[in-house]
Amino acid sequence: MIQLINASKIYQPDIKALDHANLNIKAGEFVSIVGQSGSGKSTMIKTMIGEERLDSGQVIIGDWNITKIRKSEIPILRRQIGVIFQDFKLLPKKTLKENVSFALQVCGQTPQKIRAIVPQVLKIVGLEGKIERYPNEVSGGEQQRAAIARALVHRPKILLADEPTGNLDSINADEIIELLLKINKFGTTVVLVTHNREIVNRLKRRVLTVENGRVVSDQQVGKYIL
Amino acid sequence: MFLLSFFRAIKFSFQDIFRNFWLSLVTVLILVLSLFIVNLLLAVQVITNSAISSIKDKIDITLYVKNGTPESDVIGLKNQVSGLERVKDVIYVSQIEALNLFRQKNTTNPEVLQSLRELDNNPLTAALVVKPRDVAQYDDLVIDLDRLNSPIVDSKNSDNPKVMLDKINKIAIKVNEVGMIISIIFIIITLLVVYNSVRVNIYTHNREIKVMRLVGASNWFIRAPFIISGLMYTILGLGITMIIFYPFLSLLQPYLETFFSGYTLNIIQYFSKHLLLFSGLEFAGFGMINVLASLVAVQKYSKV
Repeated sequence: MIQLINASKIYQPDIKALDHANLNIKAGEFVSIVGQSGSGKSTMIKTMIGEERLDSGQVIIGDWNITKIRKSEIPILRRQIGVIFQDFKLLPKKTLKENVSFALQVCGQTPQKIRAIVPQVLKIVGLEGKIERYPNEVSGGEQQRAAIARALVHRPKILLADEPTGNLDSINADEIIELLLKINKFGTTVVLVTHNREIVNRLKRRVLTVENGRVVSDQQVGKYIL
Repeated sequence: MFLLSFFRAIKFSFQDIFRNFWLSLVTVLILVLSLFIVNLLLAVQVITNSAISSIKDKIDITLYVKNGTPESDVIGLKNQVSGLERVKDVIYVSQIEALNLFRQKNTTNPEVLQSLRELDNNPLTAALVVKPRDVAQYDDLVIDLDRLNSPIVDSKNSDNPKVMLDKINKIAIKVNEVGMIISIIFIIITLLVVYNSVRVNIYTHNREIKVMRLVGASNWFIRAPFIISGLMYTILGLGITMIIFYPFLSLLQPYLETFFSGYTLNIIQYFSKHLLLFSGLEFAGFGMINVLASLVAVQKYSKV
């Protein structure tokens, strides 16, 4: 589903973010990518969504080699990959419902489809009672749920979660992880980038450890080993 | 789907304009100023052209016929003059017509009319009013008329108006040059202001643009609202200019009527007649300038 083959990325002047990194994530997997700050985890995510281009090597998403993806093709790729971040990236002047609808509106979906899809995804993430609230009126966990709902509206095959619990307390963090597991159960491939040792150890899922831009460990039922 | 996205882009563009209300207002005001100056320049051009036409219309050479010349001889001379290549038209003004015209011209001057009444006979002579085909060849026409050497011509009135025409032409050219320079300055200012407005709009919507990119909005859709904003500014600016410009022309019209007495120049009518053409051209011109400014700003500041 997701492949990095000999992927290298150097930020000027000579910071090796990725150094001949290799990984292969199969469809339907739940994979945690762990590593210290600056190890190259986020760069991996960026190359997977076409935000960064590799200096050498290849990135393959499904059957699509996106190594030299054209700018005009990036939106098509991003509709197939949901992404969530530590800082939620919600629009503060829009309600949670509007934030989720916005993702469909800007991609040209009809109002009928938007009316049908948005309540469904908000229900999946457990926000059905708070859809008219603004981001500053709900907790961090609920904001991240809204961000997940937004990432799910295009029914992506892959969900990339870059430190999704970084800004949350342990209870909210656990709830978000539960939600990601639930989404994975529906068949979506989930890639979780995290620092959180407890979460990784409790998940008992595949763990890729990244160090100096390389995947140094790949455990099928892994633990946070750094 | 394209239409839906297009209407959404227009909606987002309206949101951009109203969220940055003061900035939009300044942009539109600068546009109004530029458009007003362009229209003013147009009006000046119309007025100077009319002034030149009205003077050209009044240019003629009058051949005064000796008193007592039989009308058949005068008609003969008229035919002879009409046959000249440089002559556009010849009007025969009989002695009686000349007297009537004189009376009409002096209706407000009772002393002149009184002295005319005291005379026993008509002191005015018949005349041939010769209109030149081309004002530039005025001097040549005078020579042609002299060559006819007609014995019935008593005198002729041929003050060459070329000097005055040249003066008006020079003033018109100067006015157009200065107007053109001012217009270019304002067009450059407009370009910079629109560019900066779009740039600030992009900064204001930085977060929104990032989210749009994240969720897979097309590059076109991300950029379109800013380009549409450029067009909206043009439409608004043009609308306001037209609303201001017509009352301005109404104020100008009485002065023009006094200045061009005897010559019809209705500048409001002229602008109304050409409204579609002028506003279309101005919309196309300023629209292009604004879209260009928006495109450059979007290209530079909204990396999609």
